[in-house]
Amino acid sequence: MTDCDDMLTTLLFRGAPDADVAAHLTACPRCRAERAAVESLARTLAAAPVPAPPLGLTWRLLAAAEPLLARNARRAAWPTFALALAAALLPLPAILLLDFYLVRAAFALLTAILPTALGAYLTFNYAATLALLLALTYAAIPIFVEHQVRLRRQESHA
Amino acid sequence: MATDEELIAAVASGDGRRLEELCRRWERPLYQLIARHTGGRDVEDLYQETWLRVVRAARRFDPGRRFSTWLFQIATNLCRDWHRRPPPEPVDPADAEAVAGAPAPTDAVLDARRLLAALPEAQRSAVILRYYHDLPEEEVAAILGCPRGTVKSRLHHAMRRLLEMARP
Repeated sequence: MTDCDDMLTTLLFRGAPDADVAAHLTACPRCRAERAAVESLARTLAAAPVPAPPLGLTWRLLAAAEPLLARNARRAAWPTFALALAAALLPLPAILLLDFYLVRAAFALLTAILPTALGAYLTFNYAATLALLLALTYAAIPIFVEHQVRLRRQESHA
Repeated sequence: MATDEELIAAVASGDGRRLEELCRRWERPLYQLIARHTGGRDVEDLYQETWLRVVRAARRFDPGRRFSTWLFQIATNLCRDWHRRPPPEPVDPADAEAVAGAPAPTDAVLDARRLLAALPEAQRSAVILRYYHDLPEEEVAAILGCPRGTVKSRLHHAMRRLLEMARP
């Protein structure tokens, strides 16, 4: 590209000529000859209407983006969830070991004072209750994490 | 006031209010960019698709970049794809009546639209970003994914072509 090309392009796309362009136009007869055509073209391009966004455009967009935002929120919560799950799983072996000894002690005690079948039945119920409590505790982790993430987000907005 | 880059980080974690703030900030420039690219056709669809892509890819946004460059890049790519689509079926008569009821554009408006529409896609993108959005050549180059020299050359070729077409 020549200097002339540069100057005329600058004149078209920047509007009023700056000092460099003005100096070049004064010195260069070829560009001087094209100046009127370039300025007329600039006026034609400037006449293009400025389209205004219709009312409610953002609301419609936000409604359409809702599922994607929910997906983003779920994905953003994953690291927190993984951390919480890891922290919760850490004491699990100790809890299971304790439960095992408790069930064994209960079985020994109950079968000593009750008929074996009844003692075994009660021990089974006791073990099932412990297992249910454990399952409920771990099932609450995702709910707890989601709640924490929501609270944290609200705090950061505030 | 939060920067665009902070807002898009919040959108990446699912924050709808931050998305709204970002949309309101860029609604007009983005809408106008698309409208100029397509001559006013399918603008709302392309506008919405641009934002949906932004939300979808928000987690991958590079915070070292300017948000506006990324946003305009997505919109420009969508407009490029739009131009490559086959032409639509003949319009519904009801649509034609609705268009006929709209105020008639002036000759100058028609000329500006006709001139822009006649440019090759790459030159039209450069002209729209440089002339109508007043972006520096470096940013136009970043949006179009080409060197600055290519932008200069596209602008120059666009000017020559426009001058030729505008000549009586």
